Amino acid sequence: MKQLVLIFISTLCLSFTVASQNNVTGNITDDQGQPIPGVNILEKGTTNGFVSDFDGNYSISVGDNATLVFSYIGFKTQEVAVNSRGTINISMVTDNEQLAEVVVIGYGAVKRDKIATSISSVDGEEISKQVASNAAEALQGKAAGVQVLSSGGSPGASPRILVRGITTVLGNASPLIVLDGVLQASGTSLNSINPRDIESMDILKDAAASAIYGSRASNGVILITTKRGKAGKTVVNFDFNYGVQGWDKVEVADAQEYIEVYNARRINDNADPSVLLNPDDFGAGTDWWDEVVEDFAPIVNANLRASGGSDNIKYGASVSFFDQQSNYSKGNYQRVTARFNVDFKISDKITLKQDLTPRIETFENTPNLLFNSLRIDPITPVFIPQSERVGRNEFSIFGLSRNLVPNPVGQLARQFAQNDFFALVSNTQLEYKISPDFTFNSQLGFTVSSLTWEVFNPEYFIGPNRQREINNYTKNVTQNFNYVINNTITFDKTINEKHYLNVLGGILFDSESTNYLRGFRDGIPSNTNQNLWQLDAAEGETVRAFGNEGTQNILSGVFRTIYSFDNRYTLNASVRVDQSSRFPKDGRTGIFSSVSLAWDIDSEDWFKSEAINNLRLKIGVGELGNQNISRDGQFFAIGSDSFVFGGERVVSNFLSQFGNTNLQWETVRDKNFGVDLGLFNNEITLSAEYYVKTSEDLLNQVLLPNFTGVPGTVAQNVGSIESKGIDIALGYNKKWNDFTLGLNLTLSSNESTLVEAAPGNEVILGQRRPTLGNRFVKITELGEIVGLFQGYKNDGIFQNQTELNSHTSEDGTIIQPNAQIGDLRFVDQNGDGQLDDEDLVTIGNPFPDFFGGLNVNMQYKKLDLSMQWYGTFGNDVYNGNLEYIRAGTQNLNVLAGTTDVVWTPTNTDARFPRLTELDRNGNYQNPSDLFIEDGSYLRLRNIQLGYNFNVKGFQRCRLYVSGQNLITITDYSGFDPEVQSGGIINGLGVDFGRNPVAKTYLLGLNLTL
Amino acid sequence: MKKIVLFLTIITALVYTSCDKEEFLDQPIQGRQQLDDFFSSEQNAENFVNSIYRKVNGESWFQVNFQRQINEMATDDNWAGNTRQPRPDITGISQYNVFAGSRYFVLFWESHYIGITRANISLDRIPDVDIDEDKKARLLAEAKFLRAFFYFDLVRNFGGVPLVTSYNEILQPSINDKERSSVEEVYAFVEQDLMEAMDDLPLKSEYAAADLGRITKGAARSLLAKVYLYQEKWAEAQTMAKVVMDSGEYSLEPDFADLYKVGNAHGIESIFAIEFINNPTFTEVGGQFSITNGSRGDRGWGWGSPTSDLENAFLSEGDNIRLRSTIIKHGEPVFGDPAVTSFDGEPSENKSGRTNRKYYTPIADRPEPYARGQIPGQYMHIRLADVILMHAEAAYFNGDETSAKNSLALVRDRVELDTNMSLSGDALRDAIWKERRLELALEQHRLYDIRRQKINGVPRIASILGPNGTFVKYNTEESTDPFETTNLLEPQNSGTLFDPNIHMLWPIPPDEIQLSRGKITQNPGY
Repeated sequence: MKQLVLIFISTLCLSFTVASQNNVTGNITDDQGQPIPGVNILEKGTTNGFVSDFDGNYSISVGDNATLVFSYIGFKTQEVAVNSRGTINISMVTDNEQLAEVVVIGYGAVKRDKIATSISSVDGEEISKQVASNAAEALQGKAAGVQVLSSGGSPGASPRILVRGITTVLGNASPLIVLDGVLQASGTSLNSINPRDIESMDILKDAAASAIYGSRASNGVILITTKRGKAGKTVVNFDFNYGVQGWDKVEVADAQEYIEVYNARRINDNADPSVLLNPDDFGAGTDWWDEVVEDFAPIVNANLRASGGSDNIKYGASVSFFDQQSNYSKGNYQRVTARFNVDFKISDKITLKQDLTPRIETFENTPNLLFNSLRIDPITPVFIPQSERVGRNEFSIFGLSRNLVPNPVGQLARQFAQNDFFALVSNTQLEYKISPDFTFNSQLGFTVSSLTWEVFNPEYFIGPNRQREINNYTKNVTQNFNYVINNTITFDKTINEKHYLNVLGGILFDSESTNYLRGFRDGIPSNTNQNLWQLDAAEGETVRAFGNEGTQNILSGVFRTIYSFDNRYTLNASVRVDQSSRFPKDGRTGIFSSVSLAWDIDSEDWFKSEAINNLRLKIGVGELGNQNISRDGQFFAIGSDSFVFGGERVVSNFLSQFGNTNLQWETVRDKNFGVDLGLFNNEITLSAEYYVKTSEDLLNQVLLPNFTGVPGTVAQNVGSIESKGIDIALGYNKKWNDFTLGLNLTLSSNESTLVEAAPGNEVILGQRRPTLGNRFVKITELGEIVGLFQGYKNDGIFQNQTELNSHTSEDGTIIQPNAQIGDLRFVDQNGDGQLDDEDLVTIGNPFPDFFGGLNVNMQYKKLDLSMQWYGTFGNDVYNGNLEYIRAGTQNLNVLAGTTDVVWTPTNTDARFPRLTELDRNGNYQNPSDLFIEDGSYLRLRNIQLGYNFNVKGFQRCRLYVSGQNLITITDYSGFDPEVQSGGIINGLGVDFGRNPVAKTYLLGLNLTL
Repeated sequence: MKKIVLFLTIITALVYTSCDKEEFLDQPIQGRQQLDDFFSSEQNAENFVNSIYRKVNGESWFQVNFQRQINEMATDDNWAGNTRQPRPDITGISQYNVFAGSRYFVLFWESHYIGITRANISLDRIPDVDIDEDKKARLLAEAKFLRAFFYFDLVRNFGGVPLVTSYNEILQPSINDKERSSVEEVYAFVEQDLMEAMDDLPLKSEYAAADLGRITKGAARSLLAKVYLYQEKWAEAQTMAKVVMDSGEYSLEPDFADLYKVGNAHGIESIFAIEFINNPTFTEVGGQFSITNGSRGDRGWGWGSPTSDLENAFLSEGDNIRLRSTIIKHGEPVFGDPAVTSFDGEPSENKSGRTNRKYYTPIADRPEPYARGQIPGQYMHIRLADVILMHAEAAYFNGDETSAKNSLALVRDRVELDTNMSLSGDALRDAIWKERRLELALEQHRLYDIRRQKINGVPRIASILGPNGTFVKYNTEESTDPFETTNLLEPQNSGTLFDPNIHMLWPIPPDEIQLSRGKITQNPGY
């Protein structure tokens, strides 16, 4: 892999050479006299060019009669004849017209003031500042209303992005990603794109903005535009950083404390003394964390980019290498991406753009061993004694735990799972200017990808039911082919200087297909010779083959109008018709329309204000579709299995999936109200929006009562969720002489409620906990906030016999007949004298009151400092670790210091009930608020200090140090407050001890030639 | 504007001519047959009925087999056994510290209902399949029998359960409002299904060798006899059992040791059994119990070890023939397995150092690799001795003591035990019950028997378990068993928490109560 990178780099280095003639030097400043780095200097009519360095200096060899073209975004382009001069200093003039930012809006781009919808934009500079493997991480706290939830600290883990909360009940609430106009397959993670290639990200938040993406846009849309070449001298940028990441150690009980807890649980149950363990037989025991977790895991990131070209041909090329190791001895993620794009201006009318993006990823699955390392008892040795190893292979020498937890060192040793991924993305765009007003665009984007995974499971024996009698090997190849064909026509004209009109119409095809082939065989001749870990080598009797394929298609028509009058009134309207193959014929067609209006008050003649330079009101309504349901949800499908008659295997067939022939689109209706305010020439900016989103005919995979005999779940339209919220973005940007300060605060709040339920779906249950009697911990009820935690309320701990006796219903029935002193007292809500399902109440809300980020950017002379803080406030977390980590249930290990926090006759104000093995009161067998904690936190996601310096021959050099997740302020007692697992409604705010987010320290260098 | 319209028209026209829109948007499911096309042939209809059978013992060890094993642990015949890796959802239940949310309860419940729905689909679809009428009738009768079996198994574990009687029912929204039926309603439905099935089912002898294991007339009659017996419909039970005994289709296996011998699936005594084979190409076509019940010293998991109380019951009858084929003891040879001269019962990890011989697979019969789900053998739900003892019990309660004693003697003769033909009254009753315990020991009938058998209206289980139960008293006060009294990781007073007001039924799985929005109610005490 590393060799590949070197080849790429050398190829790129060879590709530019410099011609030498007369030398012109100079300095470029703005109208304030401040130097401007990065100005493009081009010898007119050639490809000879240069870019100004950090101090605004440039040097270029040109002919005596040459003309130099100076261009930079936000400034007017100047042409200056050289006339044999050796020094030409230039003062660039601000171009107010050009400064109006262009926003990508889907099948086009227009100036921001022509947009009446809700769009947040993050520019690539911001993204590349954060040394992130994934662009999503860089979004956290940057765009109001966008919530980025970490998926834990495993290499290659891709964060989950939520735009404006939750309006769908199924797991995948991820926004649609559109990369350079190509809709990415559902479930595409931002891992697929090198953050350094990103020019800008635009997040379409309301339906009026996203309606143009209709069917797949109900969770919001993220438009990613990649960097392209600019006419001028070749610019080469190199960025390299290296760092390490690690976790804060979780201290669990050592052998002595474990035995104390083990014995206490039995002594409290009056067990026979012979079953107690003698602490003298054990020392400190095994420290599983130290055995399994590596303190530091390296992380390497290297990027090389070159771009340039002439007016007729522009190109950009980049290659990146990323390598992240896990904090275990197994698990890693490596990625090489390259991106080549060329813009051909074939004639004045025709432009052809071609992008090619190959990507290779190799990764070894990172085991989630934290869970087992914390739970396994410390009195089990890592290895069995040498004397007992006779006749055992190297996978069979591990100690067998006293509880049911597999030896994590053994698990690590046995894991052999390798994944190789390859993708090639091609994107061809043809732009034909039929007339000055009419443009025809045709786009063909396709992706071919292939993922091969291999798993080898060695033969081993650690103990009964911790064994594999015969080794086996599986190889799976999954191939995907996706394409989009977009044909659009755009009319864009300003009439009589006051009327701006932009009309778009188009037909779109979108297709995703996948197929897989898998082979399994057992009896590989060697447990250790990796060359034999192939299907061909297997000699066992079990041979299995699997394979299938599937396709899903969408055919759409789009129509959009943007009209703006006198820069004061703006109207956007769109209609999209989608037909999806996921639905039966009758429910196949969805029509989604939107309209939005904006009023620029500051452009009114009567509006006079010194302070306010921008004041804009906007309002929009729109509809979106969601087809986020199993591709085959409509079908009643047959499965097959075996049975035995007369000594022979026969086929058995059964209904394996219940379909739904009435399945139809989920529709999201959305209203958005917003105000934008700019003060003191945009020194202070404020954007505030209020929205109401209603999802109708919600798609869900419904779990029916088991007595129906329906296996698994059934796809259904189950009701409506209404989501209301506010997004606020506040900015303060000011420049003093040598000092620049930027403060950007985003705050969001939202709440989702089930407002309508289809028959039988009045209650949507989630998060079934086997440990708590298979009860569902999350519940969504009609009229209530979605995904609330449900359980018994506990009313403290029984301190004495009197309290036990007096915990009765009105007629004197003892409510908890099995309770003893030191057990939890549960509230009998309906006073009927018994604890049952009718006493389950809401015990927590996983939605924060608000969440947001604060970004701080400072620059003083050559030093720059940036910080990103992110936090959520007022959300509850279901700390699933507490099901055992203070109880020692099933003889699992506990956190260090447990004996001090559980109830004993001398520790009566303890939070946790007494230790007991039988747990006849069900302290740890019932869902209750014992497990609910405040999950508020504030985290310094990123801090970076940079130093810019000059080296001859380079435009720009920057050295930086960066730290991620260095500070977390929280009262939460679990390992990481940034939690989620499973689906959104089911999983939000539920913590089951996954690998926590790591602290990362990085050192990096950025060079621009 | 005209231009726009023109261009859109052109594009639209292009799209609609160059591509077949319907073909683009119709994407049928790949690689799987669909229900509406499936019931098109005799073979498919038969394959679907086969899948109902698959649910009788479940696909693997955990769906239903293990709940049956836990039921045995909750009696005086079995300990939980495995003291190395105790689990609250197994050990707890065996000690009557019942965790209602045990996965084994919910899996048992769920698996049975999936079986019922498979039967309901068969009954809904097979009538329209174009096949031989006799075959069709047989397949429908098999489905009915199995549906009855599932409901019977549910009602005796959970009491009255929701009664879903057709496939169409679960497609209606009203299914969400379904409530539990009464015990009587469930039994009535079971009886009706069995009566209807009986006429169309062939005799065991009428099946081809390749079909051995399919439901027979004898199986339906035997199950019906048992259903009568559970309801104390003594007259009907006696009559029905007698029909089976006189059918000439079955006889007692001459050598008791051959009952569970590998290779003797569907032997002469077998009435309704699930057969296990070794076939590594297919998952889970073999047995589970020799691993899950096997000694931890013999590559097993160590669950469900026989009690010394059960051993004593054999010894008190001088019943060595059945004892040696029922219980293996640590340090002793295994009867019928010449390869083992001193069995490793691993008493430090197993409560009693004993293992169930009936589910043990002799070394020579073990496949390589010796893996769960691949072990040949069988699981017998009903065999002739069971029916004969049902007959004896029913006859006794009908006042027909002569028939009762004759049947009792039939079973005892095989194992060379004399029968006291002067027995009468309570002594005869107790002898029949004891015979049932010894003959069918560790075949997972015990819990149901001691729940239903009553003395003066009090279930026997209440005198065996509970703080003053005979089993608890024996273990805590009398037992000198060298293994049980030294391995106290599973306490000697197991069973002391039994409460007859609660534990005559198992709890309804709590998730079912939530999923039905409270329409399904919990059994008292849980």
